[in-house]
Amino acid sequence: MIHRILTIVSLLLLSLTWCPSIAHGQSIQPTIQRVQQRTVKVFGAGGIRRLHAYSTGFVVSRQGHVATVWSHVLDTEELTVVLADGRKVRAKVLGAEPQLDLAVLELQDKELDLPAWDLEADVSDAGPGTRVLGFSNMFRVATGDEMVSVLHGVVAAKAPLATRRGAFESSYEGTAFIVDAVTNNPGAGGGVLVTRAGRLLGMIGKELRNSESNTWVNYAVPISELKQPIQQIIAGKYRARQRDPDETNAVARFRPLQFGIVLVPDVLFRTPAFIDGVQPGSAAARAGLQPDDLILFINGDLVQSCRVFKQSLGRIDAGTVLKLTVRRGDKLLPVELPVPETPDTPETPKKPEKPEKPATAGDTK
Amino acid sequence: MVAKCGRGRMSLWLTIVLVPSVSLGQQPAANLESLEEQAFKEASAVVAPSVVRIQTVGGLDRVGRVLTGTAATTGVVVSADGYVISSAFNFASRPASVLVTLADGRRFPAKIIANDWSRMLTLLKIEAEGLSVPRVAPRDGFRVGQWAIAMGRTYESPLPNLSVGIISALDRIWGRALQTDAKISPANYGGPLVDIRGQVIGVLVPLSQRQAGRTAGVEWYDSGIGFAIPMADILGTLPRLKTGTDLLPGLMGITLRAGNVYASAAIIDRVRFNSPAEKAGLQPGDVIANVDGQPIRRLVQVRNVLGNKYAGDTISVVVRRGEESVEQKIQLIGKLEPYTPTFLGILPARRKQGEAATGVVVRGILPESPAAMAMIRPGDTVVQLDDTPVTDSAGLFDAISRRRVGADVTVHVDRNGARQKISAKLAVLPTQVPAVLESQIIAAPDPKPADLPTIGRFNKDLAGHDNNFWGFVPETYNPAHGYGLVVWIHPGSDTMEADIYDLWKPICEQRGLILVGPRAKELAGWNLNEAGFIEALVKEMQQKYNIDDQRIVLHGYSNGCRFAYHLAFKYRTLFRGVAASSEPLKVTPPENRPDLRLQFFLSCGDKDNLYRRVQQTRGRLAAMKFPVTLSTEPGLGHEYPTLPVLDEIGRWIDLLDRI
Repeated sequence: MIHRILTIVSLLLLSLTWCPSIAHGQSIQPTIQRVQQRTVKVFGAGGIRRLHAYSTGFVVSRQGHVATVWSHVLDTEELTVVLADGRKVRAKVLGAEPQLDLAVLELQDKELDLPAWDLEADVSDAGPGTRVLGFSNMFRVATGDEMVSVLHGVVAAKAPLATRRGAFESSYEGTAFIVDAVTNNPGAGGGVLVTRAGRLLGMIGKELRNSESNTWVNYAVPISELKQPIQQIIAGKYRARQRDPDETNAVARFRPLQFGIVLVPDVLFRTPAFIDGVQPGSAAARAGLQPDDLILFINGDLVQSCRVFKQSLGRIDAGTVLKLTVRRGDKLLPVELPVPETPDTPETPKKPEKPEKPATAGDTK
Repeated sequence: MVAKCGRGRMSLWLTIVLVPSVSLGQQPAANLESLEEQAFKEASAVVAPSVVRIQTVGGLDRVGRVLTGTAATTGVVVSADGYVISSAFNFASRPASVLVTLADGRRFPAKIIANDWSRMLTLLKIEAEGLSVPRVAPRDGFRVGQWAIAMGRTYESPLPNLSVGIISALDRIWGRALQTDAKISPANYGGPLVDIRGQVIGVLVPLSQRQAGRTAGVEWYDSGIGFAIPMADILGTLPRLKTGTDLLPGLMGITLRAGNVYASAAIIDRVRFNSPAEKAGLQPGDVIANVDGQPIRRLVQVRNVLGNKYAGDTISVVVRRGEESVEQKIQLIGKLEPYTPTFLGILPARRKQGEAATGVVVRGILPESPAAMAMIRPGDTVVQLDDTPVTDSAGLFDAISRRRVGADVTVHVDRNGARQKISAKLAVLPTQVPAVLESQIIAAPDPKPADLPTIGRFNKDLAGHDNNFWGFVPETYNPAHGYGLVVWIHPGSDTMEADIYDLWKPICEQRGLILVGPRAKELAGWNLNEAGFIEALVKEMQQKYNIDDQRIVLHGYSNGCRFAYHLAFKYRTLFRGVAASSEPLKVTPPENRPDLRLQFFLSCGDKDNLYRRVQQTRGRLAAMKFPVTLSTEPGLGHEYPTLPVLDEIGRWIDLLDRI
């Protein structure tokens, strides 16, 4: 398969030897040289259970600080960094921000005076269609003093990686550059994504599967997100971010019945959130909801099943307005329901008795 | 996931469009590149208003072996009054509700109007007016090497997601699609492939040459091999889709004689009964010379022309029959009547190595069969069927398989040195297994050859594969005789070796069978990509031992059967039977083929929770006219079959080569 593509490409090259692709290559030569000087290979823990023992990093200070991806590779005392010129240097982890998948290494040789990225002046931004180059130690194909591999492509999208429902099993949840080249390979994490002019865009992330579409996604974390933590870690002033306790504990605050909504029995993995019944006098009844309405959106987010609806309802804030969009026949109807001031917290040990009406078939957990 | 190093690529065509007045040698490359980049962005901006986001609610979480996603997918507006075309893949989960979000953020519930099952497209309708319809690139302007921009709306971003590549090839997948090296995946299936001028070349879909179905071809996502259905073709079928009828690939009911598809002439091998081809009078041996005005010189051209035709289309076919040339108009249909296997009723004697092939010696006659009724006897030698001379059992099987149930045939037999003509009427291949069946006893070789391969029970590795296997060859193995091969597919987390060996050893000795037990790489169960190992193992056994091709069967129990079924359908030319115990069939089997008989033996206890579904499996296979036997064990739960049923499987294997 790959051979066939290479044949097509080489045929194109052969038949158009005068074609501008040569000039094309030349125009990015300065960029490639400049970036490769600033990219390093990282070798550490792994090598068993299909865990790779290598990754990539980029130099962020002349004194020898390297930004890289936070992963199992760094979980060792024997961390080695191979510089662009092939020199091997011992390194230690100076600090990390697991929520950004970021770690900063300190090289143990102080006399290096390396070419380094300037995180203020060298950084740029890009949108869909911008041509980019990716540099990484993917698959460890670059051995000895060989330079890291270069891939080309375009920015496919600049979009949030994770939705609240966790489409991606990634610790990084912010906006990312998604690229159309297969940049995120084993060992590629910690590499860089740059424009063809050599401006730094982002750090290539880990291998990541999009659980919504069951495909691998290639992305880089924007430098704008990493700049501050990197600088603070180097300065020794960084404190790792705290996780939002609400998200980690995931207390289910509200349940459909509190609004008077009875859902159809949740029998399938993806039972559509059809309303089975509306309790008379409830908020749902006052808002005009009817049996057989299909709940499609909750506060603007798509509801793909009863399960998702209940999860989303569990996260809303007390005292706000619950905005639902339902499908009735061929029409989409927006409705608004007031959210009670007191959340339903049956799990809290202080309130052992369940304050709610007995659960119905539509309220299975 | 595959990584590929990109290489410089450029299209002359494009360069001229962009910088018509500047000589290439003097143009600064960086400037050219930024102009190109600008062009990608502008082209996508022109089409963006017509690219819609599609979300689905409810539906299956898994179709076959592909997990269906819940991510947003993409569609393209094809008419201002609310028609949207998308990839059928996006609706594989059969969602309860479909939502379309326009580029301006307006949201509409959508109706699925119809599907095109040939090009794998789905037409949606929303109640909206004044939508932005994109410009369509003319089909005759496509050039391999020109820029192609793939667009989708999977991400939560106001701008569509892009991937940039070139057109890699035209007329792929039997003429239905063009190929691109832009990264095509669920992130843009259903979205447009756009040229550098902002015209829609086609609509992105997953496709495969080897498989049909909504999820076929998904395994190639992001690989640099992606497909798009030309928009110009879609507009041609749009009026038919708008009427709400699904479009099916058109079939005429012929198979072509095997040969090099790129070199051999298209000679009709078989004509399916009651098919449009038969009704038009096409005959085996006819050479197809022209289809729909296109001259045909090679096999592959027939597929290329027919690949673009739908059920209901009428085509003209010119065939050469001897000296004459016959032209027929044929209206294609969407579904052919399944082939019903035919039966004469004889058990052919299995030839020893080196015996001359001068006809089929009858070893036994099955009671109440056409042969029994016509008084054919054991010891007779069948030498001819109607006008077809018969030298071996494969030839007799081929001749019988070309006739239909109920056909009158004349069987020429040699009996006691005299030739006799016997009339018989062919029946349906029966599926019940007789309670008693004498086996053809194989005597141990005398004297024992020096170079005998391994006999008895053994453990082995297969060169070039990580898996290993065990097996059993009867101690009396005689290389002059053909042996049946039973491939035991163990269930997850238990290879059951000791039990299987104890239970099957006497059956193998009695019925002349060799048993092999491949072991899954991970004890937890089989991975589908281990299929290649099983194929290699069977070929290895064929090389080392004298294996009768007609009696190679897969035997599985519980979830091991899933892999057994997969193998049987994947390697149709290799396996002749599947004996599946306590497990229903969960995938759609391929069509029954007259030339490759595939038989099924299902067994299940009536106390097994899966019993009803195993019964349904029998019904499904029978409806497709596969020969299928179901043996029910009273009182048995989800357990491996007991000896009487295993004996029955032994007899069933011994009957696989009945004709």
